[in-house]
Amino acid sequence: MTIDELGIVLVTGVLQGSVYALVALGIVLVYRASGVFNFAQAEFGTTGLFAAFVAVEIWGWSYGWGVLFGLLAAVAMGLLTERLVIHPLRDASKVTLLVGTAGVALTAVGIQFWQNNEVPIRQMPKIVEGVAATPFGAAVTYQQLITFGVLCAVAVALAVFFRSPSGLAIQAAQQESTAAELVGISVRRVSMMTWGIAALLGGLAGVLAGPNTTFTAGFLTFGAGRALLPGLMAAVLAGMRSMPGAVIGGLVVGVVEQLGTLSALEQVHGAKALVLFVFLLAVLLLRPQGLFVRRAAT
Amino acid sequence: MSAAIETPPETPAEKTAVLPTVSVEEKPFRPGMSGVLGRGLAWAAVAWLVLAVPGNHLSPFDLGVSDVGVLSTAAIFAIIGLSLNVLIGYAGTISLGHQAFVGIGAFTSAFVVTDLGMEFWLAVPIAAIMGGVQAALLGAISLRLSGLYFALVTLAYGMFAEESLFGIAALTGGEGGKAAPRPIGFETDYQYYYVCLAFLALVWWLDLRLTRTKGGRALQALRENPRVASSYGINVKAYTMLAFVVSGVFAAIGGSLLAHHDEVIVPSSFDFELALLFVLMTVVGGLRNRLGVVLGSVFFALLGSGFLVEALHLTGFVEGVIGLPKEFVALVIGPILLLLTITRFPGGIGQQVAPVRGWMLGGRFDRHAGAVKEIEVNDVRA
Repeated sequence: MTIDELGIVLVTGVLQGSVYALVALGIVLVYRASGVFNFAQAEFGTTGLFAAFVAVEIWGWSYGWGVLFGLLAAVAMGLLTERLVIHPLRDASKVTLLVGTAGVALTAVGIQFWQNNEVPIRQMPKIVEGVAATPFGAAVTYQQLITFGVLCAVAVALAVFFRSPSGLAIQAAQQESTAAELVGISVRRVSMMTWGIAALLGGLAGVLAGPNTTFTAGFLTFGAGRALLPGLMAAVLAGMRSMPGAVIGGLVVGVVEQLGTLSALEQVHGAKALVLFVFLLAVLLLRPQGLFVRRAAT
Repeated sequence: MSAAIETPPETPAEKTAVLPTVSVEEKPFRPGMSGVLGRGLAWAAVAWLVLAVPGNHLSPFDLGVSDVGVLSTAAIFAIIGLSLNVLIGYAGTISLGHQAFVGIGAFTSAFVVTDLGMEFWLAVPIAAIMGGVQAALLGAISLRLSGLYFALVTLAYGMFAEESLFGIAALTGGEGGKAAPRPIGFETDYQYYYVCLAFLALVWWLDLRLTRTKGGRALQALRENPRVASSYGINVKAYTMLAFVVSGVFAAIGGSLLAHHDEVIVPSSFDFELALLFVLMTVVGGLRNRLGVVLGSVFFALLGSGFLVEALHLTGFVEGVIGLPKEFVALVIGPILLLLTITRFPGGIGQQVAPVRGWMLGGRFDRHAGAVKEIEVNDVRA
């Protein structure tokens, strides 16, 4: 194990972690609004990616409009999920809600498999092709740098948004919905808004991570760009509540996962999955309230 | 009972009339002659469909080898569905890594038969023990975590099993897979179907015994409210562990049968999608409803292979009109059924067939039997 190797782990981990952080932000938002682990979060991304791909490659739209269309598709899916599944189940137990979001994810995956049957493996072009730099010998593409940049911009934008009146309304409704209704905040609209923003974040993760490799149906859920489990883990690190925690958690999970590529673990099969599982168990058993929160999550 | 509410008379002339007590004797319903005959015929039809048709005995249909293979898979899926039902339905803990439970049974069985050279009939119990042990380990973790967090652990566990555990080439044969020959005397698909059916009957009986004994009642109590249950002296931890071990044993039996059904198993077949399919079929079948879970699992197994679409002559409609290839029917229809089940019909298939079931067991045909008002998946720890 050399310094170079650790450097590669750190660089690749942080860049990969940016995608996880975007997913985690959406998961934390939804958890604060609806109290559910959103298993459809990564699927918002894949749906957005597919929509962007269809617009750019098949309809021949320009890249910018294609990405915008993809994000809109993701938001539409998020709003539909809230209306058709989350709202009818608002009084059900949390585990039922979880099964519901998993059902949403599966529906999307099924439709993607079906529509994508003829050419199962797709490739989305990158925003800017090429390698930007090679710190420690790890190739960093422009695409990855843009992803990291978008994450930083999103983090700042969210921080500003949650200090604006709409953002404060969301926070109020999430903390005490009855009291928020009494002072004139429509909890229903807040719930829609939260799911819309979460789906937008998922869509961003999808259109940014998709061009890195080829993609298939269920790309972000269990495909090549698997980000659901790392995203959920990052959200757990954030105690399911803290937005800055979700960003840092995503980056940490990215780096921890990359530890599985160290040459010391070369003999172990599926070392990344092993490292993630052990890390999750350690976090949950030692510090279940999350790493980046002071008080215990309630 | 006579009404004992005494209202003061409004006018003195009016007197409270004492009505004769009407005694309604609840006679147990006994079907008449034709009823017995009808039910007997229905039972005979079910027995014929399950026992005779797959073996091509007394049957106008000539089922091919692959069709019977699909029916065996359906029986195996039913076992797995019952296993998951113990966890979600009885213990109220969701497992998103059930493919690991099944896979561990499958690879243990294949290892015991191929590498240790033992008999299939010995391999199944050994696989079942392994399944119970791994489930107990996972259960020990779950006792410390609340519902949603535990779901996350099972998800990670499933991924870990799929990628790391099943990748150990010395035990599982790695990418190339591992051979799992069928027992002597049951090599053909027709014969093997009856093996699967026998194990399904065994698992059904064990599950029935579980719910009818002290353990089952304890599980029911602690699912409703663990605190109240423990105040009545129920050992919450011990019984949660019991549910895990039972679920692990059932799943491993299913996995073992699955391995010897496919004859060669590869690690990549135990992926996350399979775990989601298991959850789907159990919830759509109807949690805590043994018959419903079995029917749901069979339904999804048949749907997944395209067998059901072909058997109902819907291929033209599904592929031509909707443009949906038949292999994708389960993938697209299944999740929509799941969402409909949890938002509209929480009792699942079990609720739909409850009137027929009651009738066949000798009761009246009650259209409202089995109605479930509350959403069934419930974990108060969540």
